[in-house]
Amino acid sequence: MPIVHEGLAREFEYVTREDEREMILAQIEAGDALMQQMAYSLITGDHHAIDELTQKALGEGREANDILDEGLIAGMAVVGVKFRDNIIFVPEVLIAARAMKAGMAHIDPILSASGVEPVGTAVFGTVKGDLHDIGKNLCIMMMRGAGFIVHDLGVDTKPDEFIEAADENNADLVMMSALLTTTMPNMGRTITAFEDMGIRDEYKFMTGGASVTQEFADDMGADGYGDNAISCVAKAKELIGVAQTARSG
Amino acid sequence: MPYVETMTPRERVMNALAGLPVDRTPVSNPTNVATVELMDLVDAPFPDACRDPELNARLAATGYTELGFDSIQPYFTIIQESSALGCEMQWEQKDNWPTVRMSNPIWKGEDDVKIPADFLEHRDTKSVTGAIEILKREFGDEVAIFGKSMGPWTLAYHVFGVEPFLLMTIDDPDMTLRILDKLKEATVLYADAQIAAGADAICLPDHATGDLVSGEYYKRFLQEIHTEMAERIDAPLILHICGRTLDRMPYIAQTGMAAFHFDSRNDPQEAMDAVDGGIALVGNINNPETLYARGPDEVRREVFACLEAGVQMIAPECAIPLQTKLQNLLAIPEAIKEWSAERL
Repeated sequence: MPIVHEGLAREFEYVTREDEREMILAQIEAGDALMQQMAYSLITGDHHAIDELTQKALGEGREANDILDEGLIAGMAVVGVKFRDNIIFVPEVLIAARAMKAGMAHIDPILSASGVEPVGTAVFGTVKGDLHDIGKNLCIMMMRGAGFIVHDLGVDTKPDEFIEAADENNADLVMMSALLTTTMPNMGRTITAFEDMGIRDEYKFMTGGASVTQEFADDMGADGYGDNAISCVAKAKELIGVAQTARSG
Repeated sequence: MPYVETMTPRERVMNALAGLPVDRTPVSNPTNVATVELMDLVDAPFPDACRDPELNARLAATGYTELGFDSIQPYFTIIQESSALGCEMQWEQKDNWPTVRMSNPIWKGEDDVKIPADFLEHRDTKSVTGAIEILKREFGDEVAIFGKSMGPWTLAYHVFGVEPFLLMTIDDPDMTLRILDKLKEATVLYADAQIAAGADAICLPDHATGDLVSGEYYKRFLQEIHTEMAERIDAPLILHICGRTLDRMPYIAQTGMAAFHFDSRNDPQEAMDAVDGGIALVGNINNPETLYARGPDEVRREVFACLEAGVQMIAPECAIPLQTKLQNLLAIPEAIKEWSAERL
């Protein structure tokens, strides 16, 4: 269905890159008016509405996956674009994330019980010495929405905690976040700890955080870098194929 | 002909903060320049050097004695007041910054905001005022002694948690303003105590960073409070905000503060244009890539870019990674002297 919700149509105008317009529009148009209402409520951070609409959608017999893709993820994709383009900032993203959580509270149990094969497995933590987790949490939310199993290691994650979690969960990806310029070098130290154990090549390493750049990620020896939650998911998907191939080989 | 230094470091810094002529651009770091190497050199390791006035002063002094910076900053962390307010702390070890456990916030709403009667007597606030007294006795006429007092926005992150506080700004902006107004009193109290102890200027970090909130947010929630603090605190104030801040620099320039310490994600020339002479700029040598991971040549290039733009005081962009190599820090004053010798 083409976009009929006026508010959503206005919000969609913030998406200006052609490839992103095509991708997000396809998600929106796969749904109906109720999904468009959900996408709009998510963008505006109305968690009460999302709570009600998710229950309504499930009550009407819609598939949990469809509600996730056509309502919640479609809305979150617009939020991600607006955040990246400095149209909105973290407080606005946080209320959208709160709304997403309200919907996921109903959807998650259904998806977990469905036994769908995950896209891949990641362990994700904020590095040692850094207690900031907003960016990490947003990325985890988007990755889980995209079908990854993500083990959240929390904040102040020491290198041996990354190693233990990656091993225990048979992870494909080791993902590290840092906000502070003082703690960013701990990303490199974490990768070095994997090297010292002789297990560096068993995983793909991704880095991100407000001050992290592609150049810094390269310096630290990471395989990938995401400058926002959307590109984090895209890069994780790109790397996962490589990681899974290496493991099976 | 080589230029001749005619000012003491203190005169140089204070003149730069007052917008007066200097013999050369001063090198400073309003946030601090502690490293593991310096801790080892004077046997003053973290976390003790953050909690004991003697060790605190000894480590801070190395910024001048070993690195040749024109100012000394004995407040290394951003959490001394938060400890005194009752936050749960993680003091860490020598190679890691102490932090507040923001995932376990101590307050939920405005009624919780109370500054303890012994706020200035707490071990972790006294460690800095005590260090300032020691440094003032030892270096007072020679080097600028900086203090630091965290702004209400940063204190709010610590006592409420970053995420709950940022959600509060949308859910209840009026309460947010009332809370900031109350927390501001802690900032003023601690700044005044450090001035009484001998601080020449006060760094005021208030992390309404470009990575988290918009320039309009700064204007809405902080500009008026910062203006009031600039009027009430009787010393030059150096505001520090990380991240991309060009969008809020015009507002910051109107607060009456003496200087703004800015991040490397802002081009020095664009920053100078944004403040348009309304406030002095301090910055902005990149930490994670240049000072931590590169060499003196790259440091020199960034120092020159700041000097060419007219930045009034050269400094690392923020607190530096504790493993930063001394040779890269030494390259900052060396580059300033080289540039000055060629042009002055």
